[in-house]
Amino acid sequence: MMSMLQSEWIKIKRSAIWAIMAISPAGALLTGLIAGARGASGTWMDALTFISILHAMLLLPLLTGVYAAMICRYEHAGGGWKLLFSLPVPRTKIYAAKFILIVFMVALTQLFLLAALLIVGWINGFPSPVPWRELALSFAGGWIACLPLAALQLFASTALHSFAAPVAVNAVLTIPNVLIGNSSRFGPYYPWAQPMLAMIPRGDGGLPDLTIHIAPAALIGSFVLFLLTGWIYMMKKPA
Amino acid sequence: MTTIADSIVQTEALTKSISGKAVVNEVNIKIERGDIYGFLGPNGAGKTTTIRLLLGLTKPTSGTVRLFDRDIRNHRLDVLRKVGSLVEYPSYYGHLTAVENLEAVRRLLDVPKERIDDVLAIVRLTKDAGRQVKGYSLGMKQRLGIATALLGNPELLILDEPTNGLDPAGIQEIRELIISLPRTKGVTILISSHLLSEVEQMATRVGIIAKGSMVYQNSISHLREQAISRIRFTVNDPASAYPLLRSSGYEAEWDDRSLTIGRADNASTAEAVALLVKHHYDVYRVEEQTASLESLFLEMTGGERSL
Repeated sequence: MMSMLQSEWIKIKRSAIWAIMAISPAGALLTGLIAGARGASGTWMDALTFISILHAMLLLPLLTGVYAAMICRYEHAGGGWKLLFSLPVPRTKIYAAKFILIVFMVALTQLFLLAALLIVGWINGFPSPVPWRELALSFAGGWIACLPLAALQLFASTALHSFAAPVAVNAVLTIPNVLIGNSSRFGPYYPWAQPMLAMIPRGDGGLPDLTIHIAPAALIGSFVLFLLTGWIYMMKKPA
Repeated sequence: MTTIADSIVQTEALTKSISGKAVVNEVNIKIERGDIYGFLGPNGAGKTTTIRLLLGLTKPTSGTVRLFDRDIRNHRLDVLRKVGSLVEYPSYYGHLTAVENLEAVRRLLDVPKERIDDVLAIVRLTKDAGRQVKGYSLGMKQRLGIATALLGNPELLILDEPTNGLDPAGIQEIRELIISLPRTKGVTILISSHLLSEVEQMATRVGIIAKGSMVYQNSISHLREQAISRIRFTVNDPASAYPLLRSSGYEAEWDDRSLTIGRADNASTAEAVALLVKHHYDVYRVEEQTASLESLFLEMTGGERSL
């Protein structure tokens, strides 16, 4: 499995994925610093709420789809599937490696964004102490809530030959988050809304009308369903 | 008869139907160790589909594929370890250099790192190895594809139209490379082409496929024998001379001016002439009609010219 991941790493490390990964942290850093320069005072929880609304409602689901599409793009483009499938490697390993890389990219995105938030808080002089527990829960929760979406987007990206198609479908389904994320009936079951429900802090600092909780059963159920569907497709995929 | 252990590729009634139409129809391929097997047929005859079936990239509708005498349904990964392939068009990662492309595959094959330099040298890409592959010419991509196929020291090398996009010098290089492999490394090679002339000089055996069915499979020398000259006799009364030749065992044909006999060596030509003279026919001319391998190939494949 290590060699499979190393092989995938060679392909991904020279792609444009890194520039795309920088978007969310760079945006957070910029807005935070501009707000600070204008003299806005804030707290850690305010900043976390602000960042997670923009990031988790839109960018995180979009980026998850883009990562999945990028990790499959070079296989579609240059006959990579055919090459991989004619090598002595089980398809399950290929599938697992691709999935692990996507969630690793999402994890890195979360870490960079957390770093950006810490820098903003430090420069703008947010009052101590740093709410480590809340930050960790928010960022880790956002990551975990992305897993079903990552599995679904990997399936879409392996099945669709074009790069734009899965990304566009993902974008179209991300935009309703603004509404569905506010619905306690549908939000917890909508894969695109789950990251935002998991990430936006609740309680004291959180917005009162955004206290819808994720449903762990829905999260785990959809994750298993999407992962299995994608895996079965990969096993049968023509090359 | 060779022993079963030497069978490298063997298919039995291999069939692939796509929406009811058999694109590969009951194909029996037999390739033995050390063969350079020329797999010929016009474009669209089913060569690439057959090769995909051999590699398990697509599943047969019926029939079996055995590589190294093992059924690929049960031992696919084991046998693929011994196979290097280039199917249809070369696979490559355009955003990577040739070295990175090979490294990504090497990690999965678990061969020493030096092997990358070896295969780059074999296909003469050492000089361009550090460039992104998307800037390569088709011929260079083709050579990288061959390098990738060679990377794992395969015992069976499957090359589907490997000279596509190569200039004449490149074609010559690939040909020399292919001829040298079985001699130096004991590699068995299956090479497909739509041009007989391309594999004629290197193949030891040929299989010819047309419209999904095998129409010929035997040694290249047997194919040459089929193509050797026919002898045409221009005589005064071909119609009455024809039964004479037939009754003496010749495969003869006639028209209003001449008689033609097939597969005639020196002795049988001389005997035919003696026979005609003895029966008082006037023999005006004795001519050799050479059927080229290419025309024989066209005849077998139903005259479909591929351009």
